[in-house]
Amino acid sequence: MNKYLADRLATACFWAAAAVITGILLFFLTHIFWRGAPVLSLAFVLGTPREMTAGGGVGPQLFNTFYILVLSLLFSLPIGVGAGIYLAEYARPGPLTNLIRLSTECLASVPSIVLGLFGAVVFVWYLGLGFCILAGAAALALLNLPVLVRVTEEALRAIPVSYREASLALGATKWQTIRRVVLPSALLGMVTGVSLVAGRALGESAILIYTAGLSVSRYFPDFDPFVAGETLAVHLWYVNAQSLVPDATRIADGSAALLVLVVLVFNLCIGIPSRILQRRLLGGGGK
Amino acid sequence: MGRLVAERLTAAEEAIRIKMEVQGLSVHYGNTPALSNVNLAVKANHVTALIGPSGCGKTTFLRTLNRMNDLIEGVRVTGRVLLDGEDIYRPGTDVVALRKRVGMVFQRPNPFPMSIYDNVAFGPRIHGLRDRRRLNEIVEKALRDAALWDEVKDRLRSSALGLSGGQQQRLCIARLLAVEPEVVLMDEPTSALDPISMLKIEELIQDLKATYTIVIVTHNMQQAARVSDSTAFFLSGELVEYGPTDVIFTRPRDRRTEDYITGRFG
Amino acid sequence: MPTRQSFDKALAELQQDILRMASLVEQNIYNAVQSLVNQNAELAAQVIMGDEDIDRLYWEIENKCVRLIATQQPIARDLRVAITGIKILLSLERMADHAVDIARTTMCLCDRPVIGAMEYIPRMARVVQQMVKDGLDAYVHGDVEKARIMCGMDDQVDYLFAHIFRDLLQAMREDPGVITQAAYLLYVSRYIERIADHATNIGEAVIYLETGEWRELN
Repeated sequence: MNKYLADRLATACFWAAAAVITGILLFFLTHIFWRGAPVLSLAFVLGTPREMTAGGGVGPQLFNTFYILVLSLLFSLPIGVGAGIYLAEYARPGPLTNLIRLSTECLASVPSIVLGLFGAVVFVWYLGLGFCILAGAAALALLNLPVLVRVTEEALRAIPVSYREASLALGATKWQTIRRVVLPSALLGMVTGVSLVAGRALGESAILIYTAGLSVSRYFPDFDPFVAGETLAVHLWYVNAQSLVPDATRIADGSAALLVLVVLVFNLCIGIPSRILQRRLLGGGGK
Repeated sequence: MGRLVAERLTAAEEAIRIKMEVQGLSVHYGNTPALSNVNLAVKANHVTALIGPSGCGKTTFLRTLNRMNDLIEGVRVTGRVLLDGEDIYRPGTDVVALRKRVGMVFQRPNPFPMSIYDNVAFGPRIHGLRDRRRLNEIVEKALRDAALWDEVKDRLRSSALGLSGGQQQRLCIARLLAVEPEVVLMDEPTSALDPISMLKIEELIQDLKATYTIVIVTHNMQQAARVSDSTAFFLSGELVEYGPTDVIFTRPRDRRTEDYITGRFG
Repeated sequence: MPTRQSFDKALAELQQDILRMASLVEQNIYNAVQSLVNQNAELAAQVIMGDEDIDRLYWEIENKCVRLIATQQPIARDLRVAITGIKILLSLERMADHAVDIARTTMCLCDRPVIGAMEYIPRMARVVQQMVKDGLDAYVHGDVEKARIMCGMDDQVDYLFAHIFRDLLQAMREDPGVITQAAYLLYVSRYIERIADHATNIGEAVIYLETGEWRELN
């Protein structure tokens, strides 16, 4: 076959693949917003849910979504980032390192429903926390942990050896080198990783059904981590599957749109500042 | 302290003072020998060039002088490397303090992804300097000494990665000068640069040797001839010949040196 | 794979060129001396004409040398080859100029009677020609010993020169009628003596080429 023809054909194939992906995404987004956008109102977004009558909102669910996310990151970030730094900077090749890596990979491949049930057994029953935000956040942390470890390790490994060498050759200690050169340079990669983790956690439901529960506090907002805290994603499943309210479909549509919107906004909130940071660090000359 | 003593010596004594002395140095990577039984004295305020074909051990040698080789897995060093008479491989040596005294400039310019100012201030800061006025002075002096001040003084706060390759390398030199080392090791500092940037760095090396002792690895024979006072020729991990640069480049004693520098090698 | 083959070829070519010029110069020195001894104006004219070729060759080879230095940046032995090449070229060119000087003198002397005091001049010329030949041999074979011995022969030349000088003065004192011839011959012997000096320069260049050391040898 003519090599130019082959070249054009290959280009066309990859274009088509990209177009299909974009098409699917666009279809989902338009579908969700087409049906959900009319529902979105301040009363819906911030209102309290109703069990029997129509017109309930999802305010507490929205709050719980972020509350659980922040708590879970609070648990998983120090451990995940710490383990990532250890693997990237300190671990020497050997059985222990292999074991740590194997553990994180196993943890990463555990289905979320299993983590949910594990959380229910350990946090809800064994530790006696009951269905609550704390239990949900702890279970969710288990989901985040392996990804954070890998994201951190990879972000650190992407930093050229030459930075480390330069720092050490100036008489910096290993910790000074990590703290002042490697981590700041890797920050962007880590932020991207964390936003991926967070995005996934925002939409997680299976884990939280068995740990954070299906109800919300009567107060709003309620910072008590020991009360049950249904999140937006769980609520979406709940109203569709078990709710008695007459406008269940409407609430589900609205929740879905809100959820997608939240994930988008969240990613932008993290992405834009980090891009500005990147431009400051790597950008061309200027004044 | 060695510095204070040095300053008390007269200029004539200074000229022949030995800054670093390598005695019976052998280096192995695992079971592979990289250097065998090298003896070499680096004179203070001299530029010493290390030349030789790829894999001859010259970079390994350079990296033993500030123990950057320690970072490599499975490296074994025997023999002695004296800095002002003290063996830097003696157990209990403070490697971090050693690297402050014996700094290094690398093959590829490697400024940190920070502002120009922060790059130069990095060294003084990690060594505990916080005073802003003092930092400003040090940064300016280091940049002036590295012949970069005029080019960057108006954009100290912008990213170092926006500089040209030659400017980046001079920034790396400035960053090193800011910690006031005694010995400056340079590992092919101009191999990634254009010819004009290369000549600027060479000019800079000539200026710096008044204050510092410089050891430079280079693949560019003309560069070794231009910048150095002494030249050492390495081959297969051995030091074949070491002597004044003008002698090495006009009438080397060893046939292998001659073959290498005249390009009849291999 | 051997490196710098083309450069090696160029260096070898340079030596060949120098030897080619050297043979012309040797021939011209020989002819100049012959024209003097035989009072042969035609041969003398030939010498003068032949110098043009030598000059052209000189510029041509020197240019090659400069180009080699500029483009190949020779060092160590290569540098010495190029530098001694230029040195030897210059010496040869000067020798050739002196041959022309001798030939010119011959033309002035042709119509005058030969004087007796002249007999040592051919002898000195033979020694000098041998020196030039030995110098070039030493260059071709890189023979430091031969170059040293050749430079030693300069003492003989100096001795002969002093002798000739005395004889010519004597002749002038005895017969003021030969003053013109004798004065010309003084010049000639001086030229021949200068050729010997240039021959020792070649010898010194050979020693530098082989050992890397400059040594004054006369």
